[in-house]
Amino acid sequence: MRIAKVILVAVGATLTAPLALAGDTPEEDRKETVEYFQQKFPDVPLEEFVNGQYALDEDRRKQWESMSDFPPFEFAVAEGQEMFETPFANGKTYASCFENDGIGVRQNYPYFDTEKKEVITLELAINRCREANGEEPLKWKKGPIASISAYMASTSAGKKFDIEVPNDDALAAYQAGKEFYYTRRGQLNFSCASCHVQNPGNWIRADLLSPMLGQVANFPVHRAKWGEMGTLHRRFTGCNRNVRAVPLEAQGEEYRNLEYFMTYLNNGLPVVGPATRP
Amino acid sequence: MYKPLLILTASLALSLPALSQAGAKEDFNEVYSKVESTHNQAGTYQWTTTANQLKAAKEAADSGDYEKALEMAEQALKYAEQSLEQRKQQQEKWPAVAIGN
Repeated sequence: MRIAKVILVAVGATLTAPLALAGDTPEEDRKETVEYFQQKFPDVPLEEFVNGQYALDEDRRKQWESMSDFPPFEFAVAEGQEMFETPFANGKTYASCFENDGIGVRQNYPYFDTEKKEVITLELAINRCREANGEEPLKWKKGPIASISAYMASTSAGKKFDIEVPNDDALAAYQAGKEFYYTRRGQLNFSCASCHVQNPGNWIRADLLSPMLGQVANFPVHRAKWGEMGTLHRRFTGCNRNVRAVPLEAQGEEYRNLEYFMTYLNNGLPVVGPATRP
Repeated sequence: MYKPLLILTASLALSLPALSQAGAKEDFNEVYSKVESTHNQAGTYQWTTTANQLKAAKEAADSGDYEKALEMAEQALKYAEQSLEQRKQQQEKWPAVAIGN
């Protein structure tokens, strides 16, 4: 009788343990995501996923490599550097608002501010810096903010993403971002995952779908479709609109949480922004 | 002898479209308000299709074409109800498709 009880308890524990443990932590999510994509694309080296569709399609990669001699984002980087170094009216510069004077810090963004209990993206930090120094905030999706962000990202080229989830509030933000990524929206009933988890490498009309792993490592980007630079939240807006969902506010809580979740999965992968995309 | 009767008949006949429009206006206002409420309840799951249809319905109403406006608002209501249903379903279903869950 006693042995039977022990066996029953052991069987019960065996059956419930995987459910309780699976995806319990962001780190487990990340490891399972890496495993999923490495199984799906066994010929793609892990660090190549940050190059999105160029890691998956040889023709697209050749076109991209041919652009690398004169990348279209170079002007934005130069413009961004000039703005970054130009003092505000009070004499201070952006450097005063960031760790290490804002140089080589992109890999730590977004981070969770445990005092304010919110996700801080690089673009949000840029605008808050402006406001703290008496300047008007910049528009979120394109223009000067994309250029400054591009310059700052360029100073982190090759550095590995290192996003932390420091407490339960941060975990809630991460989970909210995860939920957003996997929930279907819009009249077309698509989630981010419908394209970037279930169908990377496939074509949707003229677009080659990129993998979820490595996404956002390349932002801000110069898109041929835009003919200019744009921020990640500009892209989120476009993706939502493509599936006929009403886009949410750029730098609103939902999109910042989404960015937090997506960037966490890139931990250990290099910053490659700014970059170019079709 | 028949003149007063003729005038009365003609008056009634001429007022019918106006009466019909008045009914359509009330119906439109009722449906429009319902769409707005349902669309808002969809929260972050709102569809652009609903928003566009609602805007077009409002424009038709502003131009005085309440029958067309009502028709458009009723279609918008269907979209809004579907988006709300999507919200309810997805909030339950998403963990089953997420990596790591």
